[in-house]
Parts: sequence; structure tokens; C-alpha cells
Amino acid sequence: MTTTQSASAPLLEDTILEPKAGGLYRHQHAGTGLLVGIALGFIGWLLSTSFLQSNESFGSDMTTTVTMVSWVIGFNIGVGSFNAPIRWLLGHDQTHHDELYAAGVGQGWKRYFKFCTDHKVVGTQYLVLVMVLFGVGGTLAMMIRTQLLSPHSTFLSPETYNSIVSIHGMVMIIATIIMVSGPFANFVMPIMIGAKDMAFPRLNALSFWTVVSAVPCLLATFFLGGVPAGWTTYAPLSAQAPIAMDAFAITIITFVVSVTVAGINTVVTILTMRAKGMTFGRLPIFTWGSMIGGALGLYAMPAFLIAQSALITDRVTGTSFFVAAQGGTGWLYENMFWIMGHPEVYVILIPPVAAVLEITTVFARKPLFASKVAIGGMVGIAGLSIMVWAHHMFTTGWAPNLGGPFMLTTELISIPTGIIFLCLIGTLWRGQIWTRLPMFFVYLFLWNFIIGGVTGIYLSDLPADQYFHGNMFVTAHFHYTLLGGAMIGAAAAVCFWFPKMTTRMLNERVGKVSFWMIAIGIQITYYGQFLEGFEGMPRRVANYDPQFLHANLISSAGAYLLMAGWVVMAYNIVSSWRSGEMAGANPWGSKTLEWQVPTPVPLENFLVEPIVVADAYGYGETPQTSTQLGEGHR
Amino acid sequence: MERPSTAHIVRGILLLTAIMTAIGVALGILLPNHIMPRQMSADSHAAVMTVIVFSVAAAPVAALVYAVGLYSLLRWRHKGAEQPTIDGAPIRGNNAVTTTWLIVSTVLVIFVLGWGLTFLSSAATPHADPLEVNVIGQQWAWSFQYPGTGVESSKLVLPVNREVHFHVSSKDVTHGFWPQELGIQIDANALQSSSISTTPDKLGSFSVRCSQLCGLYHAYMQTKGEVLSQKNFAAWLQANGASASSASRVAVVAQGRAHS
Repeated sequence: MTTTQSASAPLLEDTILEPKAGGLYRHQHAGTGLLVGIALGFIGWLLSTSFLQSNESFGSDMTTTVTMVSWVIGFNIGVGSFNAPIRWLLGHDQTHHDELYAAGVGQGWKRYFKFCTDHKVVGTQYLVLVMVLFGVGGTLAMMIRTQLLSPHSTFLSPETYNSIVSIHGMVMIIATIIMVSGPFANFVMPIMIGAKDMAFPRLNALSFWTVVSAVPCLLATFFLGGVPAGWTTYAPLSAQAPIAMDAFAITIITFVVSVTVAGINTVVTILTMRAKGMTFGRLPIFTWGSMIGGALGLYAMPAFLIAQSALITDRVTGTSFFVAAQGGTGWLYENMFWIMGHPEVYVILIPPVAAVLEITTVFARKPLFASKVAIGGMVGIAGLSIMVWAHHMFTTGWAPNLGGPFMLTTELISIPTGIIFLCLIGTLWRGQIWTRLPMFFVYLFLWNFIIGGVTGIYLSDLPADQYFHGNMFVTAHFHYTLLGGAMIGAAAAVCFWFPKMTTRMLNERVGKVSFWMIAIGIQITYYGQFLEGFEGMPRRVANYDPQFLHANLISSAGAYLLMAGWVVMAYNIVSSWRSGEMAGANPWGSKTLEWQVPTPVPLENFLVEPIVVADAYGYGETPQTSTQLGEGHR
Repeated sequence: MERPSTAHIVRGILLLTAIMTAIGVALGILLPNHIMPRQMSADSHAAVMTVIVFSVAAAPVAALVYAVGLYSLLRWRHKGAEQPTIDGAPIRGNNAVTTTWLIVSTVLVIFVLGWGLTFLSSAATPHADPLEVNVIGQQWAWSFQYPGTGVESSKLVLPVNREVHFHVSSKDVTHGFWPQELGIQIDANALQSSSISTTPDKLGSFSVRCSQLCGLYHAYMQTKGEVLSQKNFAAWLQANGASASSASRVAVVAQGRAHS
């Protein structure tokens, strides 16, 4: 194993800072963000009720919008998102020591609660945030499945049920978009390409704290009357929703800002921050996945921002983009939503898929099979995904003549998706399959993603879609792809990179218990939902015909097992993080760069700038101990 | 360690593929007819057939992927928790395999697309003398009007073996008009009429459900439908307020098209 650390080199984080390094940052953390956010939110509420709504009482759309925007801005002021640009504008830019303070030097665990520019801190912050969001989304899912235990259940009122369905959807969409691009594209990717940090460290911290500020807006919807319109919030149903709808729209607008900032950062980092010798031909596949997913997000997410902005102006200022009675059309919203919505599925999927390919090479001890074809496959998926959105609208009555073209583009996507499977099984072929925990999840990904893919082909073809659209079959299908595929890929990534991120090994025995609960739970849950769909149960119903009872019981039973499995996994992550067995720098014997630096990874990652001489997949080709590092590094 | 020959591995994987394909094909053929609702039109027949045909077509591909996965676990698994001391075979790709894979997946896509386009073109073929029905969705009920008769009903009653043109619209939010056993579906949009047609070919009752979340009682926005013989349909129209002349004018079709 090569060592990257010469004994005498001083670590950057051991720098003794000047006494007042960091300036205002010294006093700012999540708590001050909360305080300033609440204060500004209150001021926004006060001003908008006093001056903008002369004849309407508390709680109008305008008031909610202004309050939520004020909260988001206030929180970010309080946490320190805007310090550096304001100091630059005022003419006394940050000094080197200020920058080191902002990167977390000398603050220990407290830096995890601050606006910290170190990409590893941001990655860890994202990991915790994602786990919290999955906890919230999973709890809501359990409430949905509990409601559906009996046909005429009154566990939840229809209104509450509809709101829970919406917020479950939105929380999970936010969580899955950031579940790999947040923790791993931030923590791992820069080290993988030999960079000291992301291209824009402050934007990196900004992207994290804006998501954090969006989450309270989303959860506030429960106290503002709920969003009973589904996470799709189709117009004109959204026009009937209470003021929670405005908070929901602000959540999305804030979240899109975050995803856009993060996407630009990821793409620019990979394009410009690669170490010497890290050519595009040598880029690890996960890096490609992060870049393609990030770039696709830049295309997709703004459409959501525009759609929700127009929705707000419809509600607040009386425009009529989507209101049919005043000359607008709901189809406009549906188009904008799915122009975001379908590429967004691949924004979620591509990074975990790339992580799965990366992990497979390590645990099959083999080069990635047809790596250039795999990259082509991901680019193909991304390219086609922007041309398929109207397959969600086959049965809406909008442009029936476009059924054929959209069927074509949709079905073409199965070619690049098939390539991913080829590269995966090609890498398994004649490997030395090392069945540690990450590899368990790779096999589960393979199993689930095939089912999700095949059921998607039924939906892409009009005769079957005319039956399955709006039906529980669709729910089962996209859960198989997004949970069974993407989330399981993310679980593999957690198990794989956990030692590097936390310095400790994830407990393998507890991990396998959680694995089997999750694996079996998924199959039972979504077998039940496929059955509901075949039998004809519509989606998003609070009650149902007794004929669907047995399928719902199966699905709910599986869902409880699945959730229990995730809880065991969360317990495992927390307990291993606190007291797990210490991991070395490279417990998996991987050849990518992040495993060649010491654990814990020092600030700015590399003590000597690496020079890359080969790609990271030379398994079986070069002597066991060598890595992709060149002589310059040793 | 002695490496088994490629032919040996391929035989093993093909055997596993064959077994799993057989299971997939059997499930694909048997299950859909069993668990999907009764087929009461060519459209619902097409939906079930699509599921069957696509399952059969997808089975070998899925089975091959699963077979390689299973085989890798059975034959290539490294025993023990320690890192393997030797690496796998350094294979970086195989152009013949990649090309074959791409060709096969392209052929499958063309087949699947052709299947859908054939359906689309057959659905577009107009028939003479269809029955017109206006479908109106509102929170949270369906109503059905039979133009020319003055009949409005909360139950969707149709004659057998006659094409029906539905003109679907909504009084408020978007609803999804989904007469399940007829195999068609289209949204009811506010102030906008969309059309869809089908020809019921079986007598009996069916369910009409709403397939778009439409607010508080979305779950209860459902009603029954029934396909009657043409004679009974005319009688039903009269019983529901149509005059004898208008009922016979609307319900009775030109000779040569009536089958019952």
C-alpha cells in the first residue's frame, strides 16, 4: 500500500489561527440561523399582514409566501451563507485565516453545525440530513400503509391522508435527489479526482444550508392546512389547496436553488479540478455519474421552479397560467411538471447506478466491463430522458397524436439502461466475488432494478398504460426503481464509503440483518402493490373496495418489515459511527484515489499533489499493491 | 486454481437462464388473465395481451441477467470475509458481446414500439354510427349524458357491440375517467372536452373509477357501469326519461352493425 503522508508534513488543520480569524463566522451556527430565520420570518409576516393584505385576515397566500421567503433568507443570513460575498462587496475580503476558519479549522465537532466550506464536512452533513429526511418520509409511508390496512379505515381523515401522501412524496423526492449527490459526490468525488476541494466551496455549503432551510417550509404545510393535491400538485386542484400550498411552492423553489448550485459545483469541479494525469479516460465511473446527474439536474429542475413560481403568482396576484376558467390551462402545468419530472428520475438514478458500478469493480476484483460503453449508456439515458416527459400524459387528452413519438423515445431509453446491466454483469463475469455488505446491496439492486425496468416497459406502451395509468401498478413500478434501484444503490454506497467518511467499519452482522429485512420487505411490499394495480386499485385513495383488501394487507405487512429493516440499518450506522471497529485507510483494497489518502482525510485531502498514471480499474493487471498513483506522489 | 473453460461457464449460465425464462414465461402467461379484471372490449384485451407478450419477451433478458448474477455467487464467490488474494480476470470489455447485446435490445425495442403503434393505428380506425356519450366529472361524482335523448345518469349504461364515443370533461378539477373493464382511460379536464372511444363486446357490469387525485373524496369517486343488449339499452333509455322515438333513434343502429 502506498502511503500518502510523509511523517514531517504539517497538517493544515493543525494551523494555529489568528485570534479573530473568521470574523462573524465565529458566532454563527445552525442556532443563529434558526433565530434570525424566525425573526425575519416574523417581520415578514407582520409587514405582509399589515401592508399587503388590507382586507384579508391572517393566513392569506401573500402572507404565507412572504413569511416563508423571509424565513429562508433569514436562516441563511443567520447561518452565514452570505458573509463572504458581503465582505467582498464591502471591500474587506476574507483573509487566508478567515478561509481556514470557514473550512472548520480548530472547531472540532462544532463545524458540523456551521456554514463550513470543507467538502468532507458538507458531505457528512448531507448524509445526516438524508437519513433524517428518510426517517420523516418513511414514517409518513407507515401512516399511509396503516390507513390502508382496512378498506374503510378511519385512522386518518381523507384530508390528512391526502396531505400525508403529498408530503411523503415530496420528502422522498428531495431525499433521493440528494442521497448520493449530497454525501458522496461531495465527500468522495473531489478526492476521487485528486482535488483539494470542490470548485466553489462556499456554494457547496450554501447548497446544503438552503436545503436545510427548505425542510421546515415543507413540514410547516401540515400546520397550514396540508397540501391535499399530491406531490405533483396538478392545477387546478392546487388552486383549491389551503395556504400550505404556498409553503410547498417555496420549499420547491428553495430546493431547486440548492440543486442548481450543487449541480454547477459538481460539474465545474470535475471539469476543472482534476489532478495531473486524471484524464477523462481515467475518470472513475462514479465521477462520470455525478457529473451527468448534476448536469441533468441543471436542465430539469428550473422547470419545476418556473412551474411553482407561476403557481404562486396564480394564487397570490391573480394571474391565470393554470386556471382554465380565466384562460389558462392545467396542461401547461402538467407539461412543465413532467419536463422536470422525468429527467429528475434520472437525476436521482444515475449517481447511485454509477456508485453501484464503482463498487462492483472493487468487490468483483475486476476492471469495469466496457467502461466507455457504460459512460455512453449514462449519457444516452440523460439525453433521452429530456425527450420522454409526455409519456406521463398519454391519458390526459393533451396531444393524442404525440402518443407514438413519446412511446418511441421512452422505449429507446431501455437500450442505454440495458447497457448498465451489461456492464454490471460483465464485471461480475469471472470475478473474485467478495460478498461483503456493499456487494449484498449491489445484488439487491440488480434484482430490483430489472423488475422496475421491465414493469416500466408495460407502462411505456399505450394499450397497457391505458389500464395502469393512475393505478397502484405505477406506484409499485416507481418504488421498485427509485427505492429498489436508486435507494438500494445509495445503501451500497453508504456501506462502501462509510469507513472513509467515519473512520470506522459498519458492523457487518447487524448490516446483514438489516439487508435481509430490507430485501424481503421490498419484495413483499411491492408485490402487494403490483397486485393492487393489476386488480384495478387507483393510486392515492384513502379508502378502497374490499376486493383489494388482501393485496393491501400483503403490501402493508411488507412495508412494516421494510421500515424495520431501515431502522436497523440506521441504528447500525449510528452505533458503528460511535463505536465501530476502526478502519484502515483502504479496507476494501480499492484502487480509486479516495482510498489512497489517510483516514481521517486531512483538510485539502492530499499532502502531496497526486499524479495519476492509470485508471482505477487495473485489477488483475498490475501488482496487487499498486494504485493509480504515479511516482510523483510517493 | 484451475479456470473452467468459457464454454463450461456459458452452458451453466444458459441452463440457469432457461430455467428462469421458463418460470417467467409461465407466470407471464398465466397471471395477467387471472388477476386483471374481466375483459369487456378489444382495448382491455389489448392491455392484458400487452402484459403477457411483454412479459414473455422480457423474461429471457431478465433471466440472463439474473443467471449471471446467480452463477457469479455460486461459482465465483470468494469464501471468507478477508479480501481475496487474487484478482478476477482482467477483462476490460468484449466487443462481440457488447454489439450482440445492443442489437438484441434494439430489436426488442423495435418490437415493443411496433406493438404499440399497431394498437394506436387500429384505435384510430373510425366506425360508422357510434353512440355519443358525454362524461362529466365533478368533485366527487360522475354523470353521463346521452345527447339526443335528454337522459342523464350517474350509472354508465352502454349497448354491446357498438362503438361508443366518450366526450370527457370536468366541471372543476382534473379527474381521470377510467372504466376499468373497458381498458380505456382519459382525463376529464376543466372546460375542455377530450374524446376517447371503445366498443364493449361483453354483457355485464363494470367499474368506473377516478384515476386522478381530485381532492377530499377521490377514493369514493366511482360508479358502476353496465353493458346491455341493444334492445335492453333502448328500454333503459326510455325508462330513464327518453321519449320512445329518441330512444330508438339513438339506441338502434343501422342494419349490419347490430349483433344482438
